[in-house]
Amino acid sequence: MLFTQALLAGVTNGFVYALVGLGIAVIFKGSHVINAMQGELAVVGAATAVFAAAIWGLPLWLAVVAGALTGMAIAILVELGPIRALFARRAREESFLLLTVGLGFTFSAGVLYLFGREEHLLPALGDEVYEIFGAIIREHALWVIAISAVLILALRLFYRHTHLGLSMMAASIDPDGAATTGINVRAMRTATFALGGLLAALAGLLVAPLIGVGYQMGPLLTLKGFAAAILGGLSNPLGALVGGLVIGILEAMSIVFVSSGMKDAVALTLLIVIMIFVPDGILGRAGRKGG
Amino acid sequence: MNLAPRSAASAPDAPLLELKAIAHRFGGFQVLHDVSFAAPAVGITGLMGPNGSGKTTLFNIISGFLTPTSGAVLFDGRDIRAENVRRRSLDGLVRTFQTPKIFERLTVAENVMVGAFKAGRSGFFAGLAGLPSARREMTDMRARAYETAQRFDLGAVFDRPSPLLTAGQRRLLELARAYQGRPRLLMLDEPSSGLTTTEIEVLITKLKLLAEEGIAVLLVSHDMELMGVAQAIHVLNFGRIIASGTMAEVQEDAAVREAYLGV
Amino acid sequence: MLPNKTSLAPPGIAGELPAQRLRTTRPSAAALSVLALAAGLYLILPLVLERHAVDLLVFCGLYAIAGAGVGFLLGQGGIVNLGQAAFYGIGGYASAYCSARLGWPTPAGIAIGIALSLAIAALIGRPILRLSGYFLALATLALGIICTNIYFEADFITGGTLGVPGVPKLAIGGFVFDTPEKFYYLVWPIAFATILAMHNLMGSRVGLALQAMRDAPDAAMVMAIDNARLKLWIFMLSSGLGALSGSLFAHYVGFVNVDSFGVDKSIMFLLVPVIGGASVPAGAIIGALFIGLVPELLSALGDIHRVLFGLALVASVVFFPDGLWGLGRSLTGLVRRRSGAAARGETTP
Repeated sequence: MLFTQALLAGVTNGFVYALVGLGIAVIFKGSHVINAMQGELAVVGAATAVFAAAIWGLPLWLAVVAGALTGMAIAILVELGPIRALFARRAREESFLLLTVGLGFTFSAGVLYLFGREEHLLPALGDEVYEIFGAIIREHALWVIAISAVLILALRLFYRHTHLGLSMMAASIDPDGAATTGINVRAMRTATFALGGLLAALAGLLVAPLIGVGYQMGPLLTLKGFAAAILGGLSNPLGALVGGLVIGILEAMSIVFVSSGMKDAVALTLLIVIMIFVPDGILGRAGRKGG
Repeated sequence: MNLAPRSAASAPDAPLLELKAIAHRFGGFQVLHDVSFAAPAVGITGLMGPNGSGKTTLFNIISGFLTPTSGAVLFDGRDIRAENVRRRSLDGLVRTFQTPKIFERLTVAENVMVGAFKAGRSGFFAGLAGLPSARREMTDMRARAYETAQRFDLGAVFDRPSPLLTAGQRRLLELARAYQGRPRLLMLDEPSSGLTTTEIEVLITKLKLLAEEGIAVLLVSHDMELMGVAQAIHVLNFGRIIASGTMAEVQEDAAVREAYLGV
Repeated sequence: MLPNKTSLAPPGIAGELPAQRLRTTRPSAAALSVLALAAGLYLILPLVLERHAVDLLVFCGLYAIAGAGVGFLLGQGGIVNLGQAAFYGIGGYASAYCSARLGWPTPAGIAIGIALSLAIAALIGRPILRLSGYFLALATLALGIICTNIYFEADFITGGTLGVPGVPKLAIGGFVFDTPEKFYYLVWPIAFATILAMHNLMGSRVGLALQAMRDAPDAAMVMAIDNARLKLWIFMLSSGLGALSGSLFAHYVGFVNVDSFGVDKSIMFLLVPVIGGASVPAGAIIGALFIGLVPELLSALGDIHRVLFGLALVASVVFFPDGLWGLGRSLTGLVRRRSGAAARGETTP
């Protein structure tokens, strides 16, 4: 009973981590930058929607669109500004990391300043409650799972079958070669960040009705998403899903078998162990670069 | 100040380095097949081969950056496969890199001084405390580094930041730094790449002088001119040794001609 | 490059060593007088400043100590440490628990905090430092969050959110550091000694090895440098300094709880060298003063100071890769070149 309940919660969280991790993987694949502000982008996206709905009185769907676009817009601006400046300077890895950590801190401070310390809840997509094997699951959780699954599938199709997706891949794998075939490599990197920002905001928007988002949850979300991404192998979108589910379920099990207060510690210890022992992910195909 | 390398403990004509049936594969790709050859404790041994023949892989196996899939690496008669790069360096096995790996934020002097790291003694706490012995050690290291720098024509740029050096000077700096590490076997990976003809001539005189000092040199290159300094040459192609002998013998070899000229 | 026939000549023929100094030796007269001036200023400041300002400077000193460790990792080891607050917390709680709960003399708590911190750093550092770049940085961030989580849960020691109140003032041999002024004269000398020791280390054999490892780890290994051990040492050094700073913090403020040891503290400690400049240990002092004083100047603006803080980090990464130290150096370099003085260092000896 309790076990099933925890398992359901773990699966739901797992999909959210997968989305965050997917955004990190997308940006890494397209630019070889680890975006350490992914979690904060999720928070900003969700907080914007809450703000738009509650204060400006926008209809919910419009508020959600505003939140998603805000996450995307911020990511684009970040790429066009500081990221390009660092690339132009041929800055080293630690500079990119410090930059995104600094930006993440700034965004979280911005959310604190504008929206305060309390957690923000969005209305759910449905308020039904279902029973599965004696455990209870909220309708919105099912929506989270369904929408995440669709997004992950769509992303796979995007990279495999659309011109833009293929160009983005080409630009990241072989920038010089891509440039000679007329692909604007820098624009592709911007597109990569746009996509990553959008995914982050969507993750935040999906989870906001379930747990509420606060200004300080960014780093934890980034780390769990990152754990999902590398567990699945940084360059494999489906991998992030597998990784996210593993993290989410293990975390849920640690609530049952260890203590609820230690769930983050368990998940993050797992992250460190994964990085040391399975840096290429459990699906282990493409090698990681830049690590 | 004696910078001459320690003398070999084993018999005078025993090989210093010996490779026995080295094989290596990356994933499903076999890069080296059954490679065996030896390098004597004196003189320059050449390892030649076209691009992609497995030279660098072999080099990494000898210096300890890679563990071979099978086969043995003997140094001074001992199997050193279990030793890491650092341990092998302490044994006297010192290498350079195809693209010189200079410590970019250090001066020429400091780069050469790092070469003598293993001969030093002062530790972490002596350094933190700034003990006189630690300071004296640095002064000594610097004096010795200056001698070496002069030998490698770097005296005039001794206190220059290393990024300001020319390509030729960077090669010499790497050589000086390696020499400062008291090698018994000095392994040079494509030392002439990116150099002008005059710079290559200088490099050749330095190599000969190193050999005269009793340092064994293992030279990896596909540069025929540079290879002329080697007493014995082994030719690698598609991961196999296809010929061994003097420069003249190797040049006459049909397999070598085919590999190089496609004849 | 000119071919040189006398090269590889016997040592006797080698020329005189150029008189260019080692990085370890004494600074110039100008630098000495600036230093003397700064020392004088340091000594009289508490006499002329109001108590609140001295209090701020004490915090700056604490940040300088913990930040110097992070800065050394960053500048000399190329390691981004986002988990310093974990060790700051170990020091803080060890001191609070030993002195407030167990009633032990205050130096004992500090020593235990440092020892514990070194032990944990040694234990965790061994596996974690096998990682590099992004992976290592995120591992330290994870480590920081794990520790915050543990501090929260281990309330039988840490008091959880309620914290440990009533931490006694630091007393060494009967002398009690019970005012900001007394603490000021304790914290800053510790910070200065830390910077000096780091400076010494950089000018020593091991320091040279560190810089070599940072620039080209493979080549450093070939020179028989034990990269793993060096990284572990500087990680332990940094962690020990974090614990020392945390202990002093606990005794100074008299109260510790989870809020003092969160991720934002870790980011702040990283900010110290990033803003001050990580290429030299002294950058931590500049950074700590900036971080301790600027928010105070901005505090009239309210909560927005955190935003400005983040922007300061971003701006310094983008525009001043070597922080305020680097900015100052390029400015003085500019002035010097303008005034016609020959640029030294790039000429032949």
